[in-house]
Amino acid sequence: MHHELTVWSRGIIMDKEARDVSTCIATAARNLGYHAENVSDYVDDPDRTNCLVRRYARFADAPILDRFVYENPHPDWVVLVEETIIKAVNFFRGTPEGQGVLVINSARDPAYLLKFLPAPMLARLGKLVVVDATGLAEQRGSSPWMFVRDLSELAFDRMSTEGAVERLAIGRGIAAPLIGALVAATGDLPVEVVAEVVADRDAMIRGAKQHTVVEYAREH
Amino acid sequence: MSVRGTHVPEHLRLPIAGVTPPPTEKDGQRLFPTGNFRFFRPVYKDKTPPCNHACPTGEQIQKYLDYVKHGRYLDGYLTILQDNPMPSVTGRVCYHPCETACNRAAHDEPIGIRGVERFLGDFGLNLAENPARQDLPPLNGQTVAIAGSGPGGLGCAYHLRRRGYASVIFEALDRPGGMLRAGIPAWHLPEDVLEAELAKLLDLGGIEIRCGVRIGAPGQPALNELADRYDAVFLALGQDVGRRLDVDGAQARGVIGAMEFLRETGLGRPVTIGRRVLVIGGGNTASDAARSAIRLGGGEATIVSLEAEHELLIQPEDLAQARDEGVGFRPNRALARVLTDADGNVRGAVLADARLARGEDGAVRPEITPGTETEVPCDTILVAIGQVQVLDCVPGEATERGLIRADDYGRIPHASGRIFAGGDVMRGPSMVVDALGDGKRAARDIDRVLSAEPLRPDDPVEVMPYEKLNTAYFRHAPRTEAPQAPAGTRRTSQVTEVTLAYSREQAVAEADRCMSCGVCNGCDNCYIVCPDVSVLRDARQNGHYSIRTHYCKGCLVCVQECPTGCLEKVPEMDFDEPDAVVRMETAFAPYEGAHAEQAPFTRQLIEDAIAEYDAQRSKSINPNGQGVTP
Repeated sequence: MHHELTVWSRGIIMDKEARDVSTCIATAARNLGYHAENVSDYVDDPDRTNCLVRRYARFADAPILDRFVYENPHPDWVVLVEETIIKAVNFFRGTPEGQGVLVINSARDPAYLLKFLPAPMLARLGKLVVVDATGLAEQRGSSPWMFVRDLSELAFDRMSTEGAVERLAIGRGIAAPLIGALVAATGDLPVEVVAEVVADRDAMIRGAKQHTVVEYAREH
Repeated sequence: MSVRGTHVPEHLRLPIAGVTPPPTEKDGQRLFPTGNFRFFRPVYKDKTPPCNHACPTGEQIQKYLDYVKHGRYLDGYLTILQDNPMPSVTGRVCYHPCETACNRAAHDEPIGIRGVERFLGDFGLNLAENPARQDLPPLNGQTVAIAGSGPGGLGCAYHLRRRGYASVIFEALDRPGGMLRAGIPAWHLPEDVLEAELAKLLDLGGIEIRCGVRIGAPGQPALNELADRYDAVFLALGQDVGRRLDVDGAQARGVIGAMEFLRETGLGRPVTIGRRVLVIGGGNTASDAARSAIRLGGGEATIVSLEAEHELLIQPEDLAQARDEGVGFRPNRALARVLTDADGNVRGAVLADARLARGEDGAVRPEITPGTETEVPCDTILVAIGQVQVLDCVPGEATERGLIRADDYGRIPHASGRIFAGGDVMRGPSMVVDALGDGKRAARDIDRVLSAEPLRPDDPVEVMPYEKLNTAYFRHAPRTEAPQAPAGTRRTSQVTEVTLAYSREQAVAEADRCMSCGVCNGCDNCYIVCPDVSVLRDARQNGHYSIRTHYCKGCLVCVQECPTGCLEKVPEMDFDEPDAVVRMETAFAPYEGAHAEQAPFTRQLIEDAIAEYDAQRSKSINPNGQGVTP
């Protein structure tokens, strides 16, 4: 087994969410005995508010021997922490045909979201998972720009953006339902095992139960 | 990142690196589109300014103020003419609901819109050619009958003409103008201005005014005849019959209806009144009558009203002018009876303390305090306690409590379905501009009926509130009040205009105060503040700017800094245009798969470096376990 997870997010304001998704998946995989890596974004500037940023995790049952490669060459799991990224970038670069699992944090209809994928990207799409993670997360803070977090937390978070230790619990806020939906829809990691490393276990379970899956490759 | 001295592998060599112009130069954004990057997209969405919304004719006030500000008076005048045929009239007599609604009132003082309108109106009347003739469609052969040549009838005729219909206006008096001539004193609206506006209308062709025809009177055409003979009928009869007093002595010589008094003076007929005049009533007619009486008799006039001073229905500026001219006020008083001399002439009035109260039907019912009667000597009593109209010509089912009853489109119940009504006769005493608005609305609806289109209500509009403006951009600036003739001069003349015109400088200064609520006025602020050069002035989406959606990051600085609030943020995902999506491809992946590929060349370099390092280490390690530094 070899899976590469790329989480797309936006600098500063929801960088923590992306970090938490990849950290939790890599940690859980390692706990399960897989070889695992969790890689930060060394290509784009992760310290710019609202910029597209990426976080990577990969795990396999054989040692991962890629050296000096800080991106996932063949991501088969892709998480969009925020729905407009579907319009922003080709997140399926290198994804094997028909095998991409795309998890989107959105309250919209999956058919509406699919409209924005051009044919070359649709060819790589295996499964579309739509989860309203913002709605399922524990509601905190006030600004929609901060994705249910408040300014003081964001200040803390900013310090840990560039590789410092995490100052806040890992796997809470909208990251938790996203992890739940990803793990439940892919089925390669047991939900209960992943839940152990997610701070907001309840929200993670909510995400694992309440999401919509479109088996795109099978249906087309 | 400098690439000097660095070996760049073949696959990472960019065809455009180093030669691509930076984004601030021409075409840079097109070569390096950052794509759909945003949560929100800035969108130019003009709203309706409150002045425009409050005006019954829907004048595009913001637009013509903007023209005046830039010295484009003809464009401003033509803008008014789209909605209002007679800005010189409304610029003098309108009770300016626009100024009442003006957002600037919350900022400092409302804009003197009426004064600017008058400036433009007079500008238009002084032009050598009639600009209203521009772009008129040819007559389409259909003719509409209009009863009443007041503002409602004239407004309807004008807008019908603009739509290609001819019209015949039937006027009961022997001169056209309706209330404009027979209700509004010349010191408010000079006769030559009214004549000039009428001439401008008649100059359009296709509008005929027949004076001395009272619909339904013996020997005159009845409503049904008009409905048969013409394609449609518009009833703008007005309300020019004064309500009668119901007190002892009301029949005495010297008790005159204020409406009748104003009509006779307006038509230039001789009117005689005494030196001491009492005016009964608390509205604008009472004020106009009292002020005209002072001018005519040179004596004194006192307004006796049930209303307390703060309840008077007189426009504030008219009230102040009336006070300046020496009109007296006896608030909270009622006329109990009229005293007559042996010849039946008025010699005085008995007034009593009273309070304004209303019956269940909304009609005024004075509450008189018994035992407070006092005698006041006077020669003339002008009665201004409301107006009605004789509606004998209208079928009974189309009238209700003295007014014409009509549906939401002003259409009265009639078999033809082509008889519309508007103005005072439908809505009760109201403003000139209300009647003009009804005329405009009726012309539109008559056009719809005659073109077999369904009648439909106006589209809902979004009115811009003060709170949504970026008020930091608007300096406080006091309002320029329109100048006035000295009170002493105007007290003695029936024709000296009370309110005078703005000078050109004053009109421009006043127009310059407009905050352009919710409407883009091309201030360039978005263009200047955009940090990404994504606001363009070359492709003008809203007439002024467009947003380069392939490069805009959605920082919303433009929305935040838009003074007028015409820029809005709309969620990017709401734009259902999959074909218009441009995806960002970073410069690091010039072709598919290059973003994370370890090229054989790179891999070989790394492998060689590691092998070299390992070889060096193994050579330098002493077999005895003693490390040696090479």
